[in-house]
Amino acid sequence: MTAADEVLLRERFRITGSDFEHGGEVSARIKSILKEIGIPVEAIRRLSIANFEAEMNVVMYADEATLTLEVFSNAVRVEVADRGPGIPDVEKAMEPGFSTATEEMRARGFGAGLGLPNIERNTDEFVIESEVGTGTTLRYRVSWS
Amino acid sequence: MHGMVGEMTRRVHSIEIDSEKCIGCVACSVVCPTEAIRVRSGLARVSHDLCIDCGGCIAACRYDAVRARMSSTSDLARFKHTVAIPSMTLYGQFGSNVDPSQVLDGLIQIGFDSTYDISWMYEMLGRATDAYLSECGGPWPKITASCPAIVRLVQIRYPDLIPHLVPLESARELAAKLHRRRLAKELGLAPDEIGFFFISPCTAIMNSIVSPVGMDRSYVDGALSISEVYGPLLKAIMSRDGKDLDAPVSARGMQWSVAGGQIGEMRNENTIAISGATDILRVFDRIESGKFQSVDLIEAHICPGGCVSGQLRIENRHAAERSIQRIVRRRDRHDRVKEERVRSLLHEHFFDLEEQIAARPVQALGGDLRTAIAMKRKRQEVLEGFPGKDCAACGAPTCEALARDVVKGEADPEDCVFVRIDRLEGGASTAGEGEDE
Repeated sequence: MTAADEVLLRERFRITGSDFEHGGEVSARIKSILKEIGIPVEAIRRLSIANFEAEMNVVMYADEATLTLEVFSNAVRVEVADRGPGIPDVEKAMEPGFSTATEEMRARGFGAGLGLPNIERNTDEFVIESEVGTGTTLRYRVSWS
Repeated sequence: MHGMVGEMTRRVHSIEIDSEKCIGCVACSVVCPTEAIRVRSGLARVSHDLCIDCGGCIAACRYDAVRARMSSTSDLARFKHTVAIPSMTLYGQFGSNVDPSQVLDGLIQIGFDSTYDISWMYEMLGRATDAYLSECGGPWPKITASCPAIVRLVQIRYPDLIPHLVPLESARELAAKLHRRRLAKELGLAPDEIGFFFISPCTAIMNSIVSPVGMDRSYVDGALSISEVYGPLLKAIMSRDGKDLDAPVSARGMQWSVAGGQIGEMRNENTIAISGATDILRVFDRIESGKFQSVDLIEAHICPGGCVSGQLRIENRHAAERSIQRIVRRRDRHDRVKEERVRSLLHEHFFDLEEQIAARPVQALGGDLRTAIAMKRKRQEVLEGFPGKDCAACGAPTCEALARDVVKGEADPEDCVFVRIDRLEGGASTAGEGEDE
């Protein structure tokens, strides 16, 4: 194992589906952790955007999820594994503007169809695994030199 | 000259604690938006790295122990000619029947050699902001930089939002820079023989003069608090009829003292005004997560309701706001500035900051990544030993803040009264068991 592979910090967070009241709190907590331990500002900015989108996706579409944060010496890795409906067509979901959001979600300012593309744009590596009827797992990484 | 520099370096902030009056309560510590205050050994102490000079602590202190370090009228004697620059808030301090013209006249009566109304410069800046928004190309939303406490907050706590700040100089600085040159020529004086004094509703502006951001040295020489000049000024205003006075004050510019006033006068309507530390922190957190990108401009004030609620004012915030609105309605609102002229001045860099706004992030735990993570773990352990009541009796604003202080070696877990009680009770029962044996 090289030094770059060593997990310096691992934390797990629970995200609850349909809980709009607390939606966004997990990404806010992660941001304050990353600031506290001194992750570079630009990396925090990109991670914050990705985390917020991922968290709100769970709140809007899934039953619940576990977000795992892993800090390495020059990267942060995040996994968001949810129990939920899954995404039937991942490729389609990645198209900017595509959304299955309800009227109510749109009224709250969500569902512009920019969530997943936004995560991809702000991360160095992004993988989606999804099974209809079971759930979706997002994995992404932001690194710095 | 050497003494001057020493003085400037020493005076980093415009807030100080009066150790005679401070009783060591924690009212200031719990309201501070950057958690910059700790009460240690019965005395409030302010961290220079974290203080943004918002003055929230001044308003929170019941014992008059947090003082604003402003200029005093005795500073006027250092100059051959003194100029008073009234804040727009000053115009709203004397009820709606007193016109800004009378306030300007009153300032002369209380000892200034001349006055300089800068309402027109605010109007120019409003137009310049419109032009800037149409040309800058993001990142969105832009955030106004007219409140100096907001600029400090961004430097310290939201350094990644620096590119969002509108990089235009304040009306105060631009006007003083312009007028000083003109006045020096007119009076046959050296520019530094003229003293420009802002009549300020807040400590943040004093700080922007003593330790400016975006420029090496302020063009303003000092700031007097509204509360200091209020008494004599009111007397002076009342001693004259003042009906025939008519200074060309810009109604559009006057609106800048009230939250929403700046954006209300702009062409761009895709804007939001946000004021008060709580709302500011909430919204800035969201902007960091990429929200509010569909908004062009956020007018941001650290004081709730805008400058009319600055801690150094006299008049009630709502009464002052009403007075401003009524004066504005009475005055004609025709444009005093030409838009094409403003756009060309913008292109000539007239409004630009002289220097970039620098990030000053304060890392809570210090050291390299590995050390910081170890300290974070330790902090979590320490925190679990605290009751989580955030009572602040220890002198830190929250249990989490105390845990952080403990890890940094600046506090002891037993500063927490609950931890101490537990130990005493635990100690007592152990002693009891001992006796039983």
